[in-house]
Amino acid sequence: MTTVTAVTPETKPVRSRRRPIQWGNIGVHAFLITMAVVWLFPVLWAFYIALRSFADTTLNGYVAFPSSLTLDNFFNAWTQGDLARNYIQTLAVVIPGVILTLLIASMVAYACSRYSWRFNRLILMVFVAGNLLPQQVIIVPLYQLYLALPLPKAVSDTGVLYDQLIGILLIHIVFQMGFCIFVLSNYMKTLSKELTEAGLVDGASVLRIWWSIILPLCRPALAALATLEFTFIYNDFFWALLLIEKGAKRPITSALNNLQGQFFTDFNLLAACSVLVAIPTIVVYVVLQKQFIRGLTLGSTKG
Amino acid sequence: MDEITRASQVSRREVLKKGLLGAAGLTVLPTVIAACSSAAATPVVTAAPVVTPVPGVSVTPAPVVTPKGLTGTVSLGSNYSDAIPKKAMQDMADAFTKKTTVAVTVNTVDHGTFQNQITSYLGGKPEDVFTWFSGFRMRFFAKQGYALAIDDVWTTLKSNYSDAFKVGSTGDDGHQYFVPIYNYPWAVFYRKSLFADKGYKVPATMDDFKALCKQMQTDKLTPIAFADKDGWPAMGTFDILNLRLNGYQFHVDLMAGKEKWTDAKVIAVFNLWKDLMPYHQTGAAGRIWQDAAQALVKKTAGMYLLGMFVSQQFKAVDDATLADLDFFPFPSLGNAFDAEKALDAPIDGFMIAAKSPAGQAGGEQDNARAFVGFLGTGAAQDIYVAADPSNVAAAKDADTTKYNALQQKAVTLIGAAQKITQFMDRDTRPDFAGANGMQNFILKFISNPSQDLTAFTQSIQKFWDSLPPAS
Repeated sequence: MTTVTAVTPETKPVRSRRRPIQWGNIGVHAFLITMAVVWLFPVLWAFYIALRSFADTTLNGYVAFPSSLTLDNFFNAWTQGDLARNYIQTLAVVIPGVILTLLIASMVAYACSRYSWRFNRLILMVFVAGNLLPQQVIIVPLYQLYLALPLPKAVSDTGVLYDQLIGILLIHIVFQMGFCIFVLSNYMKTLSKELTEAGLVDGASVLRIWWSIILPLCRPALAALATLEFTFIYNDFFWALLLIEKGAKRPITSALNNLQGQFFTDFNLLAACSVLVAIPTIVVYVVLQKQFIRGLTLGSTKG
Repeated sequence: MDEITRASQVSRREVLKKGLLGAAGLTVLPTVIAACSSAAATPVVTAAPVVTPVPGVSVTPAPVVTPKGLTGTVSLGSNYSDAIPKKAMQDMADAFTKKTTVAVTVNTVDHGTFQNQITSYLGGKPEDVFTWFSGFRMRFFAKQGYALAIDDVWTTLKSNYSDAFKVGSTGDDGHQYFVPIYNYPWAVFYRKSLFADKGYKVPATMDDFKALCKQMQTDKLTPIAFADKDGWPAMGTFDILNLRLNGYQFHVDLMAGKEKWTDAKVIAVFNLWKDLMPYHQTGAAGRIWQDAAQALVKKTAGMYLLGMFVSQQFKAVDDATLADLDFFPFPSLGNAFDAEKALDAPIDGFMIAAKSPAGQAGGEQDNARAFVGFLGTGAAQDIYVAADPSNVAAAKDADTTKYNALQQKAVTLIGAAQKITQFMDRDTRPDFAGANGMQNFILKFISNPSQDLTAFTQSIQKFWDSLPPAS
């Protein structure tokens, strides 16, 4: 609109010259709004149920105006789900998990994509092929392996890798590396050779080039991967289910299950707990959504 | 999200361009799968090596140990994960510690996970004592050598339990492996106020029952609330109809595979159920039991055949609603089995894991035996049933004076029953009761009760016959 008035500053605005209604645009927006509502609805609905008491939803049904709203469910979920401990415990796996995965993956990606050596292509293939492997395929041998691998008592109260947070951490790193290496190696291939050659001429070692030249240049890719990996590892329930035996060592995703009884489940309480559990991923996503979206398309056009 | 993202990443042009990558993936995968296939072919639950029972440890009872003189600790693997049962379990453990100074470490795992992983749990690093169920589920693990025989504990407990409980604690080899803590009856639940308002009478016979259902329909009520989304609740209806129509022995033999599902007696059960189906709430296949119970709470449905755990939902609404809940035993059919007054009254309790530290010889075994012995007393069970009044204590010396009206009535009902069953999914082998088996068949029946029942029961028998021999 401003450009239209700018072009004809002297003339009286003519009604007929107003921009015609763009039906296509309206259609797009209608579609986007519909999709946004469809996606937001379950989250908002869970929040609404969480604000109502069990008696209220039982007597009046889920689709009803509330007789009263309360935050009790959130407080109860916090204590009954033991969320404080759960958050800390989960972050103790997620944060080192993300950092170590990215560090190691960037090393492998660097070696495989920036250097030409006998098996660099093959190594890359093996890691990428690991992506195709469904986790479920290896659970039986992995379970036995964890039971059989001894650890010193100082590190592990069970004396083996099984039922240890470090065991969960390790398997996350292993399984997330394939994806990170794939993305990072593609990204590194796009960096100009001259930069590393300059480093080489200045006498930088391989490690130095990786740390001082490659990693800073990979920052967008690393940020995107960190966001994705945080979500992946935080949301994981599978490995903990398989490799952790003590209920108290399981991550936050299992807190939700703890609120369900043998028969009876207070769904309002469960909704409150779900909302609380989802908060960190939502926060990470909102704060880093630019990287998140970039992460989804990373590697898709490179090469 | 994880898988989708990866799949799309891998299928991108990059891979096609490099070509080799995909090929490598294909060549690597079969090798990996082959490496795992021998193990992966068996279900996950049986992944753990089967423990060979050590005769000296698992069968020969150890000398009876008095609580005095015990030291050290004992561990408890519990699936009582929601707030009220979890606390009750902890309180029982504390009571034991107070009595013996033996500290109890409780590992609470959520109910579903605990049950799904029970085989790998018992084959891995289980706690000394674990929570479990009576019935086939108990006998199965006893037979597998995952549980310790506790005949010595039972020499003390014997006088404190009725015979039915002892039978429910005994494995196929005649040894005891289980200590019951509580049970609860399956019955027809209703709201006293609704019956009073409308002038309904509790029906004693099937004719009265049907007449009441008709009356409720004219009063614009759903006579019988019904839900079977999770597959198991409707099993209770089959159980009670079979018990009433064909008696305890036939039911038990049918569950054990000694009788055929194609028997005319079974078809008669489904026919009776078909007659009652018009009085049931429709759309049961998509409803969970809590939503059916909600219809009872809201007085849009008149009755609900379910376990006494339905009272937990009433209690969660408020105490007045709970006080309005009542039940009556499923009506009799006027045949030879009326006198049995049989019903489903599933028993929950404890076992000692053979692969736990207590499973090995030594002090912790004494602790575990003392602990399950303690859990078999009224003093321990009083703590539990006070916290969760949807159950009644199993031990004779439990204090019933503090029971609420429902619990009092449950004691009478269970006491009057000559025969007690555990519920279909506890009485028969799990693969038969499971999602591919009876859960599926019953859902099929509910969706179309007027189908050819001969063909229908044949399909059930065919499924039973297709199962591998029970180990």
